[in-house]
Amino acid sequence: MAARAVVDVEEDAVAVEADRFGLGWRPPLALGILSNLDRIDVVEVIADDFFNAPRRQRRALKTLAAQVPVTLHGVSLGLASSVAVDRRRLELTARLCEEIRPLSWSEHLAFVRGGGIEIGHLAAPPRCDETIEGALKNLSFAHTIVGIAPQVENIATLIDPPLSRYDEATWVSEIIRNSESDLLLDLHNLHANATNFGFHPMDLISRIPSRRVRGIHLAGGKWVGKGNVRRVLDDHLHDVPDPVYALLEEIGARTEPGLTIILERDGDFPSIECLLDQLDRAREALARGRARALRREVAA
Amino acid sequence: MSASIVEAFLARIYVDADAREKFLSNPTAEARAAGLSPEEVEAVTQIDRVGLELFAASLERKRHRNHSN
Repeated sequence: MAARAVVDVEEDAVAVEADRFGLGWRPPLALGILSNLDRIDVVEVIADDFFNAPRRQRRALKTLAAQVPVTLHGVSLGLASSVAVDRRRLELTARLCEEIRPLSWSEHLAFVRGGGIEIGHLAAPPRCDETIEGALKNLSFAHTIVGIAPQVENIATLIDPPLSRYDEATWVSEIIRNSESDLLLDLHNLHANATNFGFHPMDLISRIPSRRVRGIHLAGGKWVGKGNVRRVLDDHLHDVPDPVYALLEEIGARTEPGLTIILERDGDFPSIECLLDQLDRAREALARGRARALRREVAA
Repeated sequence: MSASIVEAFLARIYVDADAREKFLSNPTAEARAAGLSPEEVEAVTQIDRVGLELFAASLERKRHRNHSN
């Protein structure tokens, strides 16, 4: 059930937009999700899985979207690139949006190919003026073709992107401030990068206008490497760690209700109950933050 | 910055083990041969080598997982 925030205004209780908590839609989780829609407000579907899907599968997706609110999440556009985004992929995204009417659609601030080579994963581009400019052009084009501005997600990286002029907080906030795209803030990606490259995650959070944070991703990962060269890999194969819940509480204290919070799990699937428990912990963390903000407001 | 050339160069050393090994053995020559400007060549010689190896290994694991699924 969505956590409803209520603000008292001159003795009248006014219901405001609810935060929504949900899971990434993965076939092994389908039965568990559909059996627990009383505890799941929204599901996030990987758009690319349906770009070339047969009509039967797209009809099934439409049926899903009729049962539960859906958000669409892309993984292959490569928006944060000096290279123009592929119009065909955007048109396929537009077709999906038309068919299932998602709450929102999103993509990553990443490049995924270069010189004809598919990287096969999200890569952090050099954080410089050229990639800010390229991202802004691509975001504008994506908005034009799809008809809705995408939310953009910060990515995790194991490598400190070479040829960078800016830190991550500056680079991401420049793109958000100069585009119509809101931020889908992946808190595990932020935690991983902060751990790997020695900055405080609140530095990035405090640089983004709070009203521009509209979505949250939660996930887990693991340490890779050896000795003193270990780094956190965001693999979506592990439970959400405590520092990520702590960051979610901070988000609760800084943002208005109406966020969509998605728990991503891509493999080594635990029981659905384990995932629902993590969603409950997320609800509690966000509620703690919201309560802190309310106390601060009352005290002011 | 010739950003598209840089992105192509990075894509290659991320996914191609031979190209990565050659680059790590002689970064200046390989970056020059890829068409990077003198400033870019200088910058990539300072590349985060630990991160490069870890990222390349994670890509390899991901490819292996996808192929075995």
